[in-house]
Amino acid sequence: MCGVRTVNEVPDQQPSDDALLVSLAARDLGALASLYDRYGRLAYSLAYRILGESETAEDVVQDAFLSAWRGAPGYRRDRGNPRAWLLSIVHHRAVDILRRKTTFRPAPLEVAESQPGDEDTAASAERNVENASVREALERLPQAQRQTIELAYFGGYTHVELSELMGVPLGTVKGRMRIGLQKIRRALERTR
Amino acid sequence: MTDHIQDDLEAYALGALDGTDAKRVADHLASCEECQREAAALANVVGALPDAAPLRQPPPSLRARVLAAVSAESARPKLATKTWPAGRVRPWPIALAGLAAVAIVLGAADVDAQRRLSAARAERDSAQTTLDALRQGGRWWYMAGKDAFAGSGGTLVDPRAEGFAPFVIFHDLRQLPPGKVLTVWLVSPDLTWARAATFRPNGRDLQTVTINMEVAGFDRCAVTVEDSAWGARNGVVVMESRIAAPAPPPPQ
Repeated sequence: MCGVRTVNEVPDQQPSDDALLVSLAARDLGALASLYDRYGRLAYSLAYRILGESETAEDVVQDAFLSAWRGAPGYRRDRGNPRAWLLSIVHHRAVDILRRKTTFRPAPLEVAESQPGDEDTAASAERNVENASVREALERLPQAQRQTIELAYFGGYTHVELSELMGVPLGTVKGRMRIGLQKIRRALERTR
Repeated sequence: MTDHIQDDLEAYALGALDGTDAKRVADHLASCEECQREAAALANVVGALPDAAPLRQPPPSLRARVLAAVSAESARPKLATKTWPAGRVRPWPIALAGLAAVAIVLGAADVDAQRRLSAARAERDSAQTTLDALRQGGRWWYMAGKDAFAGSGGTLVDPRAEGFAPFVIFHDLRQLPPGKVLTVWLVSPDLTWARAATFRPNGRDLQTVTINMEVAGFDRCAVTVEDSAWGARNGVVVMESRIAAPAPPPPQ
């Protein structure tokens, strides 16, 4: 399994993500509160990035944590780490809603970045250090690979839609996804 | 590994397959360990992508909403199913006596089950009412626990909606020695402390306490451990909020 470094690494005295998932599966509401404190902001940011509106993003986050509560007993570590599992729930919920809409599809990341978040200066500085590796890895990709990954993940486009949108064969879209994610994976592993 | 499935693992990890293709990949993953390992590695890479999104602060109420939603879910009534062992055939008088005994036991069990069901429904309804109030928005103060109450906390909510009294959702409260109570205080800008509620922890992960007074005019709240449900503040402060921002002007 790929040991990608995640930005919310847990200090020694805090329970690990895996320990929180075990507690969650044992129906411990305190573990859910801890999981929210750890990833609630990131989950909300992801939902907002995909949907572009706060009210629906809040509903998505609430629904995702409720779903995590229900699904924790069936969580399997060998399918991905707890953070990736939780954020994938948020992502699926947000994209489901996005695909039901026809009027709004978010722009690629560089446009989103021109609309800054609302973090305060100190938190922003800390955050920029934490996620620099992911941003840098994305920025270093050739534009076609970067756009393909961003439009798929943040824009909610399927690979067939991307093939039509970008005017390239489906195999080319798959290839861009594969090579782009391989590069990001290697870049993240180097920063561990 | 099936080459055709391998072609789709990246799109699967990115959530970029339609329902039919996603199910086809999921079905394959259920029986292929090699593809499972690759899919897990890709899931972890994709799980890092949210770090590239601009960070936004969710409203403080969202935490309470999440906890209240899960609390409502976990309070859903669940009745235990009883299994009864099959017995040997008895002569009819003994069988009749047995049936009568079973009827009595089942009746008692039914009464107990009904009582538990009613309690669970009441808890669920209470949690749902809390959730409804949270959906309407309002003012919020989070009180972080400290010292013996580190890890505990409470969110005081002053709902905007008509008909909802202010309340506090506490989480992970510590048990108290006999004779002690927790008191919620509202603190005004001139440092007047007003007793807003007194209660004892109920042993659950979440506990909602209603505030029977107006919150307007206060800008902070705290919780102390007291010996009495009455009188001035004497006990140690175990939770305290920051000073709240001024209330927003009412909508035009």
